[in-house]
Amino acid sequence: MRILVVEDDAVLGDALQTGLTQAGYAVDWVRDGAQAQHALSSEPYEATVLDLGLPRCSGLEVLKQLRQRRQQLPVLILTARDTVQDRIQGLDAGADDYLIKPFDMAELAARLRALLRRAHGYTQPLLQVADIELDPAARQVSYQGQIIDLSGREFTVLHTLMLAAGRVLSRTQLEESLYAWGQEVESNTVEVHVHHLRRKLYPELIQTVRGVGYLLPRAKAP
Amino acid sequence: MSLKQRLLVLVLGVIGFVWLATAAFTYWDAKYELNQVLDAHLAQASTLLVAQNTNELDDIEDKHAPLLHKYSRHVAFQIWEDGNKLLFHSANAPNTPLASVQAGFSDTTIEGQRWRVFTTEAKGDDDDRLTIHVAELTEVREQLANGIIANLLKPLWFTLPILALLLWWAVAASLKPLAKLTQAVAQRQPDNLSAIQLQAPAEVMPLVERLNHLFSKTKALIENERRFTADAAHELRTPLAGIQAQVQVAQAAQSTQTREHALNQALQGCQRASHLIAQLLTLARLESTAASRNLRQLAKQQISDLAPSAWEQGVQLELAEGEEITIQGLATLLEILLRNLLDNAIRYSGTGAEVVVTTGYASSQPFLSVCDNGRGLAAEELAKITERFYRPVDTIASGSGLGLSIVQNIVELHGGSLQITQGKHQQGLAIFIYFPNLS
Repeated sequence: MRILVVEDDAVLGDALQTGLTQAGYAVDWVRDGAQAQHALSSEPYEATVLDLGLPRCSGLEVLKQLRQRRQQLPVLILTARDTVQDRIQGLDAGADDYLIKPFDMAELAARLRALLRRAHGYTQPLLQVADIELDPAARQVSYQGQIIDLSGREFTVLHTLMLAAGRVLSRTQLEESLYAWGQEVESNTVEVHVHHLRRKLYPELIQTVRGVGYLLPRAKAP
Repeated sequence: MSLKQRLLVLVLGVIGFVWLATAAFTYWDAKYELNQVLDAHLAQASTLLVAQNTNELDDIEDKHAPLLHKYSRHVAFQIWEDGNKLLFHSANAPNTPLASVQAGFSDTTIEGQRWRVFTTEAKGDDDDRLTIHVAELTEVREQLANGIIANLLKPLWFTLPILALLLWWAVAASLKPLAKLTQAVAQRQPDNLSAIQLQAPAEVMPLVERLNHLFSKTKALIENERRFTADAAHELRTPLAGIQAQVQVAQAAQSTQTREHALNQALQGCQRASHLIAQLLTLARLESTAASRNLRQLAKQQISDLAPSAWEQGVQLELAEGEEITIQGLATLLEILLRNLLDNAIRYSGTGAEVVVTTGYASSQPFLSVCDNGRGLAAEELAKITERFYRPVDTIASGSGLGLSIVQNIVELHGGSLQITQGKHQQGLAIFIYFPNLS
């Protein structure tokens, strides 16, 4: 789950990066509007947390251009402006949610989960494929009612695959969802995580499409 | 004294003065004319007497002429023979000669009475020399002149009060627009800063316009203050959000390292918030009396205050050679201005930088400059740097983004202009402030 944080305040930006990483996201942090536009048009983010008062190019402008490019990713606006007018302006410009500073990190994480869930067409908080149930809030996975112990990365890979259930994801897509900028990508990581997931759950859970990527079928193979 | 009373007193005074001046002129003129006419009468009377005397004097038995008219008491004559024998005289004439001169007009005082005398000589029947004095009491002339002046002044006594009443009414009527204006201002609520809509005469219109100008200025000022307070309150939310988020990160941290980092960051956030609050408070504590201030002295003071902390950050402060400049200003504001400029230079120029403050005159205009050879800013950022809450990209130092905005406001308040450019050799920042010339 790769997320872009756009915030010019050093302290807050740092907290968002650390806090969201704690919540299991791969977080990139940029500090002005121009960098945000560049990042958004070149990297595949699942969502973005956007401050409005930005140097060089305002958050609203970033948002408008994002929607003009027909990019659908969920946008959560973080701002100090709390008048109704401001909120209407933000939502009308294409924001999906609006959080006013100061805010609770847990609430921010919850709202992000809700945004991501809806973005993938789910309305239930729990993701379910066959016998597997994934709780994004508790970061917990159960198989046939049994809680399965997964590492953070394994959970993220499974979460990404379950959100895209029935579609093939490339290895690069999975890698990008795991790593933020500056993090070193270990070779074969995805393979290793997929291997572990098959072992901990069941082998047919994740199908390899040779030369293309991986697929998590919507239903268990008969 | 009210405007009404003033107008009334002035107008009545002027009328009275002109009237009195006219009366005085008339008095002198009448007296002169009267003297001319009466002197002529005296001369004529003496001619008659001479003519009569030479022919009929002998027929007059009574030496004393009778009193014929109430005014005749004031007119007297004497006829002397050979200068020593009083031949004939009027009833009211004294026994001594009325004049010592042989001919012509003279003035004399006999037994406390002042006479105007015309003297002439004639030859009697016996070829004796006759001296004829015709005299008139001067008192009469004065009475006549006084009568004329009294007639002239008498109307003044009753016309002045009537005039005063009419003037009072006229003045009150003409001052009505002022009264209306007073009422319009008096009935105003403190929060009503809209323009006064009033049809006023040409003399009052400038006052109304100035008032309206003041109202609109005050309104803009309050608006500005409100916007600023709102901005500031909003802007305080960001450091607060940072602190809260860092503390929550620390709470959820698995490793000591992450926790330590988050707590340190939270502390930095607190410092940033207090810095912002301190700046807002200085803005709220502004004094309002301007006086002549020596900017070089103020700069010296600020530099010596800030030099230790600058040294700790590896920045050197210097006050360069230059003339002393004196400007009309508010000491606290000018201190804030200098402090902000130096503070910014120390914060943003980086270790090893030198900050040079100069004061002097540029084509007789006093100026202050703060130049550094630090990191400087890109040209595109220079334009935005005075925007409120603007902080340059990739800023490492903590700051509220208010400093230069405050500097800008203070410079504007002192009627000066702020100029920010890249420093020499495209290195660092050069900030020049030009103040209006005192002389």
